[in-house]
Amino acid sequence: MAEIVTGKKGAPHTDMTPMVDLGFLLITFFMLATTFSKPKTMEIIKPAKDDPKNKDAPKVNKNRVLSILLGENNKVYFYQVAAEDIAAGKPMQVDSADFSVGGVRESIKARQTEVQQAYGTKDTLVVLIKGVPKATYKNFVDIIDEMRITDVKQYAIIDRDKIDTVIMEQMGFIRR
Amino acid sequence: MPKIKMKRQNIRMDMTAMCDVAFLLLTFFILTTKFRPNEAVQVDIPGSTAQIPLPEKDVLLITVGKVGDQKDDRIFFGVDDQNTRMGILDELAKEFNFTVDGEMQKRFKLLDQFGVPLDQLPQLLKMDPVELANFKQPGLPCNPDAKLMAGQTGSDTAKNHLGKLIIMARTLNPNLRIAVKADKSAEYGRIDDVIETLRKTNSNRFNLITSAKAGAAPAHAE
Repeated sequence: MAEIVTGKKGAPHTDMTPMVDLGFLLITFFMLATTFSKPKTMEIIKPAKDDPKNKDAPKVNKNRVLSILLGENNKVYFYQVAAEDIAAGKPMQVDSADFSVGGVRESIKARQTEVQQAYGTKDTLVVLIKGVPKATYKNFVDIIDEMRITDVKQYAIIDRDKIDTVIMEQMGFIRR
Repeated sequence: MPKIKMKRQNIRMDMTAMCDVAFLLLTFFILTTKFRPNEAVQVDIPGSTAQIPLPEKDVLLITVGKVGDQKDDRIFFGVDDQNTRMGILDELAKEFNFTVDGEMQKRFKLLDQFGVPLDQLPQLLKMDPVELANFKQPGLPCNPDAKLMAGQTGSDTAKNHLGKLIIMARTLNPNLRIAVKADKSAEYGRIDDVIETLRKTNSNRFNLITSAKAGAAPAHAE
């Protein structure tokens, strides 16, 4: 009996090259379209507005306070004065800094050292953060970030008060 | 001289393994991809060293940024949970006396964020997608001094629609976490308006969205 000759032996070979090409093309597309890094957030907790306990804001000794006023053009102004001194017309010293290396961070650290010498621990420092309306959001985030970086344990974001208005006038921020 | 005859060989690479890897990676990327949603407002978020990740769901997002070539910072509102969205639309229809048809419902359900005074919302929902993409939304009125509950009248600058929406959304879905996403160059005054509004609605805990910044590690981690 004659046998049927079945050409080559073994599995048939498919050329996979185009398929691989396509696979990698799609991978590239999805890699570029993916948003991998989840945005990070910084949490802010403000005191309740109508809390009767907060009616009288706690008084803090000026010796352990650093007030920071966010100004325009990436400038920050800081000072350590009590409201009574302003009312009494005492001269006050206002320093300014920016967010560059050796800027505001060094000033906060210097203040921390002062507080540490006076009270024994730098955690006693209270930083009050205020901003002029024209300050940018970036500066606001930066300064809160500085609190984290310099490990300031107590800080508060508060409204501007009289002293800030004086500074704003001096610096020419009020031009409405 | 006799030449050495080399046997011609057809090099055949087995592509199967490579193909497997390629498709494995492909599947991975397809499954993990989350497309960037269409944003009505361009926001370039500032960097920080903060490490808290944004929750996956139940996020109430307040966006502050500039629209197109406009100079002012505008406020947008969005909730990712679609059930809450539908609830908000019902409440708004009741309060501002407009009727909602099926098409408008569908559009609102897919609207990630919006920034028009609430009485103008029906007009926004009547726009087709192309029109909507080209429309420069004026932003939500947000005056922290305005009364939230009373019927708000007068010019847009005297109203606080953002506060109204926050109260509605949080009543409908108490699990909502509040996140504020603002542009680097947004003015602090505007951010302050938003923060004051949040405080007024008793949302004293909120998150500011920032991108992770390399470098500067927190001092206590050193």
